[in-house]
Amino acid sequence: MVGRQPLMASPDGTGESESALVDQARAGHTGARETLAQRYRPPAYVLALQMLGNRDDAMDVTQDAMLRFFTTLNSFDSERRVQPWLFTIVRNQVRDLWRRRRRRPGDSAPDADSLTSQLVSPAASPEADLRRQQLREEVWRALATLSSEQREIIVLRDFHDLSYNDIAQVLGIPIGTVMSRLHGARRQLRARLEEGGRHHA
Amino acid sequence: MPDACGRTFDEAFLSGYLDQALVQGDEQRVRVHLEDCVSCRALLEELASVRDATMSSTFDIPRNDEWSEAPRSGASRLLRGLGWRLMTAWIVVMIGFGLWETWQDADNLFERLLLVGGVSGVSLLLISVFLDRRQAMKTDRYGEVRK
Repeated sequence: MVGRQPLMASPDGTGESESALVDQARAGHTGARETLAQRYRPPAYVLALQMLGNRDDAMDVTQDAMLRFFTTLNSFDSERRVQPWLFTIVRNQVRDLWRRRRRRPGDSAPDADSLTSQLVSPAASPEADLRRQQLREEVWRALATLSSEQREIIVLRDFHDLSYNDIAQVLGIPIGTVMSRLHGARRQLRARLEEGGRHHA
Repeated sequence: MPDACGRTFDEAFLSGYLDQALVQGDEQRVRVHLEDCVSCRALLEELASVRDATMSSTFDIPRNDEWSEAPRSGASRLLRGLGWRLMTAWIVVMIGFGLWETWQDADNLFERLLLVGGVSGVSLLLISVFLDRRQAMKTDRYGEVRK
């Protein structure tokens, strides 16, 4: 299960910092590659799932993104953070998939049922937790109806906890545009929730 | 430009405030405004509620053993590509051979016309699909997306 992805020097307890792992992976250390894959594949998969809504497609995209990640490792500046770079690759792979299927981002809304079916429900939770889970499902259903531009900026900020600077890097937009685009997307999400009469704020 | 509620900053600053992404001066301006503005406070609370629901979501992810081919190696990709090409060539040769045999065995003009008609129909369909795909690639606005 993957919730938010806080970025720490060593989130998997290996004691290795990100840049050290990248350097080792470049030098051909299989263990470092495996650690990088285990650390960053889950958030890459979840981002792909949030954009595509389909588990199998998300797995395919993640596989391709990880392959590209490792084949381009030598050109990566190890002073930069891995996750924004990997997310850029995932985003491009998602667009490649839409292109192969001759779909445009504007009409590439994920299947809301398929997406929410991948949400993990809290086990044996009190009523308050169930209500919160219901709100989560409503939010993800509403997110699935947004444009891909709006959906991706919300998930990058609110789920994956990327900074505005990292979001600008992933989306290839000026950092000054991030806040206004994000706010517009949040406004739209709130409107969709209200349209459905399902907003429990 | 002041808003109806007296706000002197862009509404997007509320998202910046929520994300603690404002510089100190802007953060202070928003905070002071929020003390007196009920509507902006309500909007901020709604945005925070939706954001919290997103933040606290958890998704099921595939187990490690489900990534059976991960990471796919360059060698396996090469072999798979070669395999597909060989199989495609084999299919083309078999179909061509079958068509040639059928042509040779045809007893009359009608049977040969049927054969020509079928092959022509399939060929035209394939050509139309090829043309559509080529057009789609040319007009793709994401074609220049950075890899």
